[in-house]
Amino acid sequence: MPPRLIAVVLLAALAVGGIFWVVAQGQLPPASFTFNNDGEIESLDPAVVTGQPEGRLIDAIFEGLVHLGPKDREPRPGMAERWELSDDGLTYTFHLRKDATWSNGDPVTSADFVYSMRRFLDPLTLAEYAYQAWYLKNARRYGRGARGVEVGDPVEVELHTRPEGALRFARGKVVRGELVRVETDEGYTEEELTDPETYVDRRTFVVSVEGEEQRFRVAGADDDFADLASGGAKSCRQLLLDFGEVGFRAVDEYTVETVLDAPTPYWLQLLGFYPLAPVNKRCVETHGPRWTDPANIVTNGPYTVAFRRLRDRTRLRRFEDYWEADDVAFETIDALAVQSLTTALNLYETGKCDWVTKVSPIIAREFMKADKRRADFNPGPQFGTYYYTFNVSRKPFDDPRVRKALILALDRDEILSTACSVEDPARTLTPPGLPKYDAPMCPDTDVDEARRLLAEAGFPDGQGFPKIEILYNFEEQHQTVAELIRKQWRRALGINVATRNEEWGSYLSSQRQLSYDVVRRSWIGDYLDPNTFLDLFVTGGGNNNTGWGDPEYDKLIRDAQFEVDAEERLAMLRRAEEILMDRGPVMPIFYYATRDLVRPTIRGHYPNLQDTHPLRYLRYAEEEVAP
Amino acid sequence: MISFILRRLVWMLVTLLVVFTVSFFLMRSVPGGPFDSERALEPEIEANIKREYHLDKPLYVQYGLKLKQVLSGDLGSSMKIRERVNDIVAQGLPVSAAMGLLALLIAFTVGLPAGIISAVYRGSAADVVLMSIATIGIALPNFVVAGFAILIFVFWLDLLPAAGWGSLEQLILPAACLGAPYAAYVARIARTGMLDVLSQDHIRTARAKGLSPTVAVLKHALPTAMLPVVSFLGPAVAGIMTGSPVIENIFAIPGLGWHFVQSAIDRDYPMAMGLVLLYTALLYTMNLLVDLSYGLLDPRVEWE
Repeated sequence: MPPRLIAVVLLAALAVGGIFWVVAQGQLPPASFTFNNDGEIESLDPAVVTGQPEGRLIDAIFEGLVHLGPKDREPRPGMAERWELSDDGLTYTFHLRKDATWSNGDPVTSADFVYSMRRFLDPLTLAEYAYQAWYLKNARRYGRGARGVEVGDPVEVELHTRPEGALRFARGKVVRGELVRVETDEGYTEEELTDPETYVDRRTFVVSVEGEEQRFRVAGADDDFADLASGGAKSCRQLLLDFGEVGFRAVDEYTVETVLDAPTPYWLQLLGFYPLAPVNKRCVETHGPRWTDPANIVTNGPYTVAFRRLRDRTRLRRFEDYWEADDVAFETIDALAVQSLTTALNLYETGKCDWVTKVSPIIAREFMKADKRRADFNPGPQFGTYYYTFNVSRKPFDDPRVRKALILALDRDEILSTACSVEDPARTLTPPGLPKYDAPMCPDTDVDEARRLLAEAGFPDGQGFPKIEILYNFEEQHQTVAELIRKQWRRALGINVATRNEEWGSYLSSQRQLSYDVVRRSWIGDYLDPNTFLDLFVTGGGNNNTGWGDPEYDKLIRDAQFEVDAEERLAMLRRAEEILMDRGPVMPIFYYATRDLVRPTIRGHYPNLQDTHPLRYLRYAEEEVAP
Repeated sequence: MISFILRRLVWMLVTLLVVFTVSFFLMRSVPGGPFDSERALEPEIEANIKREYHLDKPLYVQYGLKLKQVLSGDLGSSMKIRERVNDIVAQGLPVSAAMGLLALLIAFTVGLPAGIISAVYRGSAADVVLMSIATIGIALPNFVVAGFAILIFVFWLDLLPAAGWGSLEQLILPAACLGAPYAAYVARIARTGMLDVLSQDHIRTARAKGLSPTVAVLKHALPTAMLPVVSFLGPAVAGIMTGSPVIENIFAIPGLGWHFVQSAIDRDYPMAMGLVLLYTALLYTMNLLVDLSYGLLDPRVEWE
């Protein structure tokens, strides 16, 4: 054989061998239950994530003080076997079960919860959901770091050096004392000194530690302030309100107490929400950023992490020492990270996957149109709304009559029948389904009234109305809806409307900088209460992004927070939503609906508003246990 | 030859630096950032996040820090999936490479004979049919081919799994769909190269001396005709080994391809940067190998 041929054959053999080797590395025995988790997760650290796919897994591997039921999402005993509420509705006392352990065998104690809550609120943890715990007394102040303290407060100063004998990723040494003075640097204007971005960089904090005054600057480990003009100072990692001031403490080894600022009817629900799950201190401090690797992670929920391959799957295994392990049916669960809805459907249809969390809108339409309804497709209402907002800082949207005219000219039926499948038209921001809350509606389609209002605002028959633009992020459904609305407004009001699409990142930044006229938005409620929707639109709110504000609205939202009487509280929120629907910047279009496909043999999967189905309750029909 | 390789390696470093610089500033000039989400962040948290990733520093400082990090062989941590880019590449690249290699093997075993046959029987019905298929193969986008392939082989014939990773069966469809357009290219290039060579004097001489047509084609014409195919192969290997976003998405293959797209959408600076550098290095290496292989295939070529 000529050498050239040998070389080619060798190369080919090498390639084939390589392919076999790589494929063999990837082989796994099938799991007891497989579902598609919508895509690659960001992390398994409960504190830092915000997405639903992360939530599904974290909910299965960690357990908070309470956990939420599969059907009505009611709080059930979790790590706490029982709890009491004080008469003023502010103090909850949780009694931990003594038989709960971490997956490394350590018992779960109140210290774990205090450690986890402090870590969650620490601004250096970068917990995006930290505000979910701000209902705790002083939690918000703690989370604001050096900006949250005032003279006279007890403070904790975290130094750059670790205490002796501490683990590699432990917190720096903490010095406690009372803040006696804050010195601002010279040569800055008042405005420069209050700029939130550089607030801590221009201040020296004087703390009295055991009767002795010490001076601190929040800065890097290498910064040296010995020669500071106003007197030397020590560089510290951060300066916070003393955590002892926060309404979350361990009464004894198995008792945790939470003290709230205001009675919060959904506090127990929040405690069952995955970001507030506890983490294992020793594990986090030993492995640092890599603590969530399957080889390192320590968990306390019904499942443990057995295996993870990026963009392929995360495999969970039942945790034998979980306190309720007998009730957990599946030995192993595979959470696939398939992003394409079509691929997920293909896997389901070929039996490789037992639960697909959503099908594409087009497929949902096909399913609905089919003569015989599939037994495994049961769409239901979801706690989310698809809506448009107007940029009130731009003309002509500053005129409430113009906003109302545009809302009145909207034909939701046409949109629903063209672009949607199983969704319902929306005329409120808060979706229906909450007990005792009947949301006030915005007016229904009325083209004549819309024309009259527009004429009243100075644009008879749309004359003189500037050309406006609808902004949406690129996705087929958003495009269809935007084009329909463009057509409807043009037809009904004779105004000139254009559409513009941007990809996700640019779209968010345009929205935040108010560089749009009308924008597509949506919101899925974080907890089952109208407040999760309504507090979006308080003046200057972080997610308001419309330039709109109304003092009466703000007052109602704020007062409702402190209202003890549940009915009165809901009445206040209802009045607020009435204002929002009457003169606000919001045009509701439709409510989201769940579109998941699940094998009819699966039990424990109930339709619910939050579209959340804890893995621990799922089982095959024949494995059903008596309730 | 050694000095040739060394010279090329120096140029590769220069290219990498240019690519690094251009992509660094290009990415930062796009609106939006890695931590934008529908929920606004609290100012304290946002400030800390920015500090953590040095996003609060002036651009030139960020550039210097990043360059230093990359030079030490560390591509940094992804800002979206909290993993190190090196680890993500280490997990994804073998998968993409395995699928890519299989795709190339398919492309060659199908494309090469097709190209040779159409060249040798130029103008015959076989030539027309094969070249029509090749043209269609080039024109049809990946996802259309994949859609039809899934419909036929998964749902109608029930022969192959729909998607996923972990067995050779799961790799056949994606590799075939990925390889199809390459097969078409190989066929067309091989045909052109072959036609070129077949009309040359040394082939005519070989035939005149009484060599059979098969021997003349396979032994004397083929190596020279392979030159254009091989030069096409270089960039093709680099492209195919780093994964195809479309095919990986459709067949749920945990390779690198989709990261390219996703990291750009997410403004995941370290990730996008790492992948672009990886691709550049691969592309450059493959081109170097192609240049070296010219010497093996054609004795007239010399490395200068």
